[in-house]
Amino acid sequence: MNEASLIGLFEATVSFGALLYLAALGEMIAEKAGILNLGVEGMMAMGAVTGFVVALQTGNPWVALVAAVAAGAMIGLLHGFFTVVLGAEQVVSGLSLTILGLGLAAFVGRGSVGEPAGAEMVSVDWGPLSDIPWAGPILFAQSPFVYLAVITGFVTWFVLWRTRLGLAVRAAGESASTADAAGHSVVGIRLAAVATGGGLAGASGAYLTLSLTPQWADGIVAGRGWIAVALVIFGAWRPGRVAVGALLFGLTLALKTRLQTFGVDFSPILLSMLPYLLTISVLVVISIRSRNRPSPAPAALGIAYRREER
Amino acid sequence: MTEPPHPTGLANTSEKPDGVAPADGPPAVELRDIWKRFPGVVANAGAHLRVRRGSVHAVLGENGAGKSTLMNVLSGVYRPDEGDVRIDGMAHHFRTPADALAAGVGMVHQEFRLVPSFTVAENVVLGACERIVRRSAVELAVGALAERFGLATEPNRPVWQLSMGERQRVEILKALWRDARILILDEPTAVLTPGEADELGAVLRHMADDGRTVVFISHKLHEVMGFCDEATVLRGGKTVAASLSVADTDASELAGLMVGASPVITERPPLREAGEVRLEVRDLRCLDDRGLNGLEGMDLAVRSGEIVGIAGVAGNGQRELTQCIAGLRPVESGTIHLIGEDRTDATPRQRFADGLGYIPEDRLGVGLAPRLSVTDNAVLRTYGRHRRGPFLDSGAATSHCRDLVDQFGVRTGPLDEPIAGLSGGNLQRLLVGRELVDGPRVVVAAQPTRGLDVQGVKAIQDLLVGERDAGAAVLLISEDLDELLTLADRLLVIHAGRIVAEFDPTTAERHAIGEAMVGHAVPVDDQVANR
Amino acid sequence: MGRRAGRPVLVRREQVLRGGQPLAFGIGLAVALVVGIVLLVGSGHDPMRVYERMFEASLGDPRAWSVTLNRAVPLGLAGLAVAVAGSMGLWNIGAEGQIMAGAVGAAWVARVGGEWPSPLLIAAMLAAAILGGGLLALGPAIARARIGVNEIITTLMLNEVAIRLVQWLVHGRWKDPDSHNFPLAPMLSDNARLPGLFERAHVGVVLAAIVILLFGVASSRTAWGYELRVAGSSGATARYAGISLERKILTVLVLSGGVAGFAGGIELSGTSDRITESLSNGFGFAGIIVAALALMRPSGVAAVAVLFGAVQIGGQSIQTMGVSSSVSTILQALILFGAIAAGVLSRYRVEMVAGDTTEVTS
Repeated sequence: MNEASLIGLFEATVSFGALLYLAALGEMIAEKAGILNLGVEGMMAMGAVTGFVVALQTGNPWVALVAAVAAGAMIGLLHGFFTVVLGAEQVVSGLSLTILGLGLAAFVGRGSVGEPAGAEMVSVDWGPLSDIPWAGPILFAQSPFVYLAVITGFVTWFVLWRTRLGLAVRAAGESASTADAAGHSVVGIRLAAVATGGGLAGASGAYLTLSLTPQWADGIVAGRGWIAVALVIFGAWRPGRVAVGALLFGLTLALKTRLQTFGVDFSPILLSMLPYLLTISVLVVISIRSRNRPSPAPAALGIAYRREER
Repeated sequence: MTEPPHPTGLANTSEKPDGVAPADGPPAVELRDIWKRFPGVVANAGAHLRVRRGSVHAVLGENGAGKSTLMNVLSGVYRPDEGDVRIDGMAHHFRTPADALAAGVGMVHQEFRLVPSFTVAENVVLGACERIVRRSAVELAVGALAERFGLATEPNRPVWQLSMGERQRVEILKALWRDARILILDEPTAVLTPGEADELGAVLRHMADDGRTVVFISHKLHEVMGFCDEATVLRGGKTVAASLSVADTDASELAGLMVGASPVITERPPLREAGEVRLEVRDLRCLDDRGLNGLEGMDLAVRSGEIVGIAGVAGNGQRELTQCIAGLRPVESGTIHLIGEDRTDATPRQRFADGLGYIPEDRLGVGLAPRLSVTDNAVLRTYGRHRRGPFLDSGAATSHCRDLVDQFGVRTGPLDEPIAGLSGGNLQRLLVGRELVDGPRVVVAAQPTRGLDVQGVKAIQDLLVGERDAGAAVLLISEDLDELLTLADRLLVIHAGRIVAEFDPTTAERHAIGEAMVGHAVPVDDQVANR
Repeated sequence: MGRRAGRPVLVRREQVLRGGQPLAFGIGLAVALVVGIVLLVGSGHDPMRVYERMFEASLGDPRAWSVTLNRAVPLGLAGLAVAVAGSMGLWNIGAEGQIMAGAVGAAWVARVGGEWPSPLLIAAMLAAAILGGGLLALGPAIARARIGVNEIITTLMLNEVAIRLVQWLVHGRWKDPDSHNFPLAPMLSDNARLPGLFERAHVGVVLAAIVILLFGVASSRTAWGYELRVAGSSGATARYAGISLERKILTVLVLSGGVAGFAGGIELSGTSDRITESLSNGFGFAGIIVAALALMRPSGVAAVAVLFGAVQIGGQSIQTMGVSSSVSTILQALILFGAIAAGVLSRYRVEMVAGDTTEVTS
């Protein structure tokens, strides 16, 4: 164990954390509006493959990012259409979109497996800031996606808790009929929220293929979409806590390949179970405490809203 | 600083437009000749209402008299089939509640529309705030508005922590924030403790003094007398007394107007000799859904071969009483005896085995399961009988169901289809049939004919009388006084969780019953002496 | 008389269209095939030839059928698991993990009982599989029954835990000493494998059919099934009828896990020949779709599972034509979406409501 490897560990923690954070923010926004989106894994895959393919075609990573966000958002809208407009079960629609997304991504990316990246997001150069010992490499030599994730976190917090729109979104997720009575369009809010969720998942997927591991392979998402879903719960639907959780879960991801170099004789596989077990524990605690006070979970989460039905 | 929207330009001033003696202004509200029909019922039949600006005006009437419908017309929820609505002299045709709000009419419903995890301020400004919500500024503004009207509240407190009275204040604040000049409240004190009700009265007076107009629906006469200027009474969808000055009338007169004085002439089933006591409730106390007092020392006894009716205004403990007797609500103290045995803590199944038939108020949802088939619902209480080992003999179940359906005249589609498609009348026949088919020894029926058409009502009533004649002890709870007077052998009145009066239906005066129902003390010699 | 900007609104039909769900399923299938055509043409293949090949490989002859039926087994059992829970309104999203847990149980018995006579060994393996799946579901079941913890998340999380458990075992103590760089568990001994039925199908097909039939009968003809229906329909009504909701939730979720575990045991012993981390292969998630299409009824699960099995097997076969097998994954998802849309339309119709009213007059 030496300084360089520790720095490397923290650097990876931040990188992975940002990956998870982007997707988790998207999921959080959708859930805050009342929609459970189990399609994150598929949306991330679509974002990943779209980003990669468009980067190959255009050589411009930013265009690729936009395309990836659009791809994710479109799948999000599909989920919204089935659940909000048609009132289908959110669980079924979401899982089917994961299956669809993963399959479609494999289909679209079939010719690009193993291809070198067409374009990459180069790490941002902060000039002298990157030279600070420790903080420099960890915080100031990261891919633009990391900073994007941080900015998105702030913007999400601000919009949800400091704007009229955010109030409406939160109301739609707590009590759709109250939001409706107050004059807001629950359908519009939920569609927008789930599209945003899909877009952010797409961005997260693009992070994978444009920056983190710049290549495409079927299965590149490797279950990190599920971690993002877990993360929202772990963070009790608050952007700040989700960020902390993202770093924590990011650490477990970073440690997976580094445990040996640190001389720790603990199975990295068992370590990787940690985020899921932690999330279950948090959920149990939340449920127990919810007997006397409202749960932090949006009260209308998962429940379809139909105004005409009384 | 964030301010509420000003549709009429009069907010944030303390002008008193015509105020206390507006003889020189048009009435704030004028509803003329309002007709509103729904399938099978005429809710308003030419009702009218005239409310002076700057007054507190009560709208009185029994359940089903048409008060809520009229208020829904005023607040834009319903469109009247005929008649006009004038606000401040100007005619309006509201298409949605938003239109009414734009004209300054805000309604506070009985069921609050609040988000429990939001703060008071967030709930008040939801749907009516600036793009950027500056938390402290908003809370300050909401706090200032509340203080102006004497509605003590903490804007940054989450609503789930608030009592019902405090939540109601938030609902009122919502209307005020949107600059409602005319405030409609639907049974506002139904959810309040007496102390909170007095506070509300003071707030309403304050608003009226500010030049706003308050209209509220109520049953509670002492409150009406206490803080209203005028009252309008509805009965049977019509206005029977308009804008009575409260100072010039009294509770008796108002109660009489509400229930009507004409005697009911219907065939009474012949009286029988009552037998042994089958259902006995002693000093029963329980809590309601909100944890407040539901029943407060309820005593009653029902004998075999008699129908005991309970009259009362909704929300005085009827629901809690039937739930306790059926075993669906825990009892805090007191006892329930069925056929002489103490069943205070027995399960619903045990009570059924004793011979209790229960017709709950909630037809769909407790009594019947809407997504299940007719057969499944028919055997809900008796399916144990059709077991063959682990199996359920579906043939036997179906034929039991068919017998039930035939015997009680339930009109259904195929028996294996969900019951959700059945009409109210048929659903009730199914439910009643299921409970009565085994000849129960005690029948508890809560609002059994509510919402049914004439034939349905007659059918259910005949069934209940039939049970009585077969020797069952029947407890009948109904909001329809006529029904009670026709069917009951003894009539009790429930108020605030206990029995406050007993009458002989053949000789009682409606108006005395009405007064008991609204909590107005009744002289002892009007009551039948206890047996 | 004011604006008449109409907007479409879904209004419940008075009468559900008869034959709605099978029809919806058929429409879903049709929609999927059409979209599939678009995809295939877009990538330069002849859709008709591809579909023909898929059909031949999955349903064309007894051999194809045997492979398809093998595939239908885990799909059907996972679907049954989800349907059993779903009939009470509970979501078992953990079938993927429970299949793995079942396989672990069965594999453990196989290691321990390597010398046992085959029928005994297999019976013990399958029993262990049911136990394994049930155990994995026990935690979420208790949490839901006692505290009301949402079972969607708890079962979902345990999927990942169970998969990693298998990874850990295969990389560690269960690693075949002969596989050096690529960790593999050793193959099952012959006495641990399910006997064959016909062509390539194994006895698991019959076992699965029996289990599905059993549950079908139980849910429609037993008192237990009746109580389940009541509990799933309305909690208040169930209380009134004297049914303990807590007990029902517990038993249903554990049973659901056991059925999924059983699928894992059969898959290990019948199809796969060793335990691997890809054994559950998406069956758990596909099972949710199968159950949804079967409207949470055991009677429909078998048919839907066979269809999905055919689509999956067909999908594998077209790889030799140069078509990505992901086409079959896409088709499966599309079938569901088409069916959802059609299903909604069988229960609701679209009406134009004048944009300026909130009042519903009917």
